[in-house]
Amino acid sequence: MPLDTSTYALSLLRLDGRRWNELRRIHAQISTQAAADGSAYLEMGNTKVICTVSGPSEGRRGQGQGGEGGKARIEVEVNLAGFAGVERKKRARGDRRIAELQHTLTQAYTSTLLTHLYPHSTILITLHILSLDGSLLAATLNAATLALIDAGIPMSNYLVACTAGSTSFEESDNADPLLDLNGQEEQELPFVTVGILGDGDKVSVLVMESRVQMSRLETMLVVAVDGCKRVREILDGVVREHGRNMVEGAVG
Amino acid sequence: MASSILLPGDTIPPSALPHAKNPSKPLTLGPGLRHTPPLTITAHLAGPLHTDSKKNAIWVENNGGRYIPHPSDLIIATILSSHPESYTCSLSPYTPPTLLPHLSFESATKKTRPILLPGSLVYARIASTPSSTHLTSSSSSSSPETELECIHPSTGKADGLGPLKGGMVWDISLGFARELLKKGDGVAGIEGVKRFIGEGRGFECAVGRNGRVWVDAGSVGDTVRVGREIVEADGRRRGSEWGRGEMGFR
Amino acid sequence: MPREAEPSLNEREFIHQALREQTRIDGRALDAFRELRLQFGDERGVVDVRLGKTRVIARISAEVVAPYPDRKFDGIFTITTEFSPMASPAFEVGRYTSDEIILSRILEKAIRRSSAIDTESLCIIAGLKCFFIRADVHIIDHDGGLVDASCIAVMTALQHFRRPDVSVEGENVTIYSLREREPVPLSMLHHPLCITFSYYDSGEIVLVDANRLEEQTREGEVIIAMNMHGEVCQISKFGGTPVDALVLLNCTNVALKKVQTITKFIQRQLEEDMRKRDVGGLMAELSAENER
Repeated sequence: MPLDTSTYALSLLRLDGRRWNELRRIHAQISTQAAADGSAYLEMGNTKVICTVSGPSEGRRGQGQGGEGGKARIEVEVNLAGFAGVERKKRARGDRRIAELQHTLTQAYTSTLLTHLYPHSTILITLHILSLDGSLLAATLNAATLALIDAGIPMSNYLVACTAGSTSFEESDNADPLLDLNGQEEQELPFVTVGILGDGDKVSVLVMESRVQMSRLETMLVVAVDGCKRVREILDGVVREHGRNMVEGAVG
Repeated sequence: MASSILLPGDTIPPSALPHAKNPSKPLTLGPGLRHTPPLTITAHLAGPLHTDSKKNAIWVENNGGRYIPHPSDLIIATILSSHPESYTCSLSPYTPPTLLPHLSFESATKKTRPILLPGSLVYARIASTPSSTHLTSSSSSSSPETELECIHPSTGKADGLGPLKGGMVWDISLGFARELLKKGDGVAGIEGVKRFIGEGRGFECAVGRNGRVWVDAGSVGDTVRVGREIVEADGRRRGSEWGRGEMGFR
Repeated sequence: MPREAEPSLNEREFIHQALREQTRIDGRALDAFRELRLQFGDERGVVDVRLGKTRVIARISAEVVAPYPDRKFDGIFTITTEFSPMASPAFEVGRYTSDEIILSRILEKAIRRSSAIDTESLCIIAGLKCFFIRADVHIIDHDGGLVDASCIAVMTALQHFRRPDVSVEGENVTIYSLREREPVPLSMLHHPLCITFSYYDSGEIVLVDANRLEEQTREGEVIIAMNMHGEVCQISKFGGTPVDALVLLNCTNVALKKVQTITKFIQRQLEEDMRKRDVGGLMAELSAENER
């Protein structure tokens, strides 16, 4: 059901009171799970994700055991908690949307991680989505990046992601781009999810599921790329903070 | 000489048998034929009947889709993996993996064997297959897998076999590959290819019975041109039999 | 067990080298599609699409069912895909590969979510009866470009299909057979098509409509669904080597041109098929004279 966003035009404030170029609060922690090789907890507004990484290790039996061609294989498991959404909903195991999410993460990290360093092994990324309020793909990518850094798996650069939307589908009227959409905005506005590798303009992941005029795409891309850079700074801060704590802990 | 088209189950009339020049030579039945004593010969493949009176041989030409290894076939194989004694190679998606011993290259010893990465191409001969161990020329006749070799078994020379460097591989039908290899005496089927390509251009090529042609004409453009000419010649030869014919779907 | 042949090192190297010299192994230009052929079945809504050696068959069927309780005013439209092992040694019966998931998701996003079909027009009585339109996609031969070919197949079949006419009087629904009343076409809101771009050398070289060998050797792909009015319906770049944002924007421009040509081609083929079906024309149909 479309929501009424007509108030945006009057106040230039979004439903949750943000301006167009404001990110939601990002809170992240590293090494939250003692049992995993690497783990992270990430909140982007009300979207909350826990990610654990195990490996590189010998693959599960009967599944071809590790990657072929002298490279590590990356497996991703996404678990959407029944209580994540507004209504309690049990998702079928073979949900294609989840399967697509897993495929996207697998593909994205296969080209980002230096998999050739671990031939015949498997890196398993497990994601638990505790709360869902938009920007799901972006949040899972960011959480997985942090967890992989915690697990000490070599990667060519940070892979960070962010969403951007537009207040209108049409070409004619002047629309504003929006950064980091929440669940309500995602329901009614066109948006893209962009994953950037490093601090340049190199797009690794680009997913858009809504119908929009192609002229809108450019502004949305630019805003999303800019948002990614800001997310990167925040995540970088989290990693450095964690590193500092570790060093101090070791000394003290 | 193609005389008539046979369907599985057809019996060969005695008149169609070759008139042997040398009556003492026994009649040889080739692929697609089966002898039921005392005197009946029936076809079990579809295709034109071919006879050769010199060799006193008779066989059915069948342009089948799947390659089945036969000893002394020349093939182009892709290396899949390396093992202590041998490489595992693939001939086609539907053929089980085959073995290529490390030592069956020209002047290969334990220390000087060629190092081939997975994905490399080799031009090789089939030394033995599991079903035909009595024909084998290789040492390990009890192998349950098809074995390849890159040397002539008696002379130890490569004779043009070995790793293929550079170039490009094209897929052709099995029947066309057989035809290309038939007249060209011996290795590579280059004579056969030249009949279709025309003279005037220098290129290296190797034809594999498993339906693959390797071509290297120096430059990218020439290689593509030669390769496409071969593929198109194959398409023309198959003509209405395949491809152009409208397989109507209703 | 058959296993799909991985391209050899020679092939990989050669394809890359050739692309750097702007040559494709099948002699096409970098931005050229393979020959597209459409063949319609006797029945409405059956189409056989051939894109080079790739072959896809789509069939549309309709039945009357009760609508979903949370969508009382909408008909139901689903797309199912079927990968048969005869298309490629890479497919196995009963095993879902990521190829299959991606294909069905992309068709879903490009055609269903972008509301190419007006599902409200499929409603007969709100909450009680509606049409259930089903698109079955069968992959018959796989030589790359499955997403593009399947999308063309589904969109063409949907435009070719005619559903039975209905009339509603109070609670009574009459569904007319094909002989009683001329069946009616589905109401379409727009005609999206998918264009797949394959890139090499971090986006330096971009191809459209890669064949299987080119797909196996590429660094990544971008699938763009668009309609001829320049509306992008979905973009998917699932990882792969990162490319510059500008390259991606450029792809949408190329995609628009391709979509426009293919849409026109489909339109022409549909019209030609219409002429073939309507042999006698309107006059023959209206004539009351019997053949004696």
